[in-house]
Amino acid sequence: MELTDADLIARILVDDDQHAFGELVRRHQSPVRGLLRQLTRTDTALADDLAQETFIRAYKNIRSFRGEARFSTWLYRIAYNCFREDARRRKELVGIDEAQWQAEVDPRPVDAGLRHDLMNALSQLPLHERSAVILCCQNGLSHDEAARVLDIPLGTVKTNVLRGREKLKKMLRAWGSE
Amino acid sequence: MQPNPEDWLDRQLRDVAPYIEDAGFTQRVLRQLPARRQRSSVARPFILIGMSVLASVLAYFLSDGGRFLIVEMTRLSALPVVWLFALVIGSGVLLMTGGLAAAAMSKTIRIEP
Repeated sequence: MELTDADLIARILVDDDQHAFGELVRRHQSPVRGLLRQLTRTDTALADDLAQETFIRAYKNIRSFRGEARFSTWLYRIAYNCFREDARRRKELVGIDEAQWQAEVDPRPVDAGLRHDLMNALSQLPLHERSAVILCCQNGLSHDEAARVLDIPLGTVKTNVLRGREKLKKMLRAWGSE
Repeated sequence: MQPNPEDWLDRQLRDVAPYIEDAGFTQRVLRQLPARRQRSSVARPFILIGMSVLASVLAYFLSDGGRFLIVEMTRLSALPVVWLFALVIGSGVLLMTGGLAAAAMSKTIRIEP
């Protein structure tokens, strides 16, 4: 029988079992790295560095995990904090006009593929809407869970998801709802 | 309001997030983890035995060379056999319950699902 996340966490807490932590990393690495790739606008090297930092922080602070949320939600929250701290260091969030930042983004060549257009459209959303859409629509978190991850009110998450989706639909209008 | 799972946009969003192969990621994370904590359980038995010996020595000297032992042994030998038997069983059960409770407490970590 496969051990649950809670079983593995118990092993880490009781025996400091790094193999158990390795299993947790294997289980959750894909969604965490995926989330960070989306947040960093597909900068895979940076996203993977942040993902490593996320898991190392999770290991160091595993005793603060109280099981009130899913382990994956807790990980997403750490990942999002890592991303924000890194973004602050890079002056991406502090003292920059989002519209100006978007104007500086290199225009990507038009690609016939929906995947490319969708990724491009996602990367053009403001950070607060992009984060909410990625967490709720792509990673399947509830609005409540996303609110915990992003540390913002539930109503703000709902608004951000709604606005983000509307913008995406507008940008992808050409593809229609096939 | 939750996202409608049947929505075209949601479906496409999920499709553009494929599974990312581990490709050594987990090993890289494990290599960067801090060293394991020193296990306090190695020192624990020695501390417990040391404290027990110290307590016994103190009790011996504070009780006038352990005279109370001789007195109590004399009193025990005067007890009926049934009482002695009950005393032994009771002590065993008490000891076993204490041991089980201690083991359960040391292993139980409260993690809600």
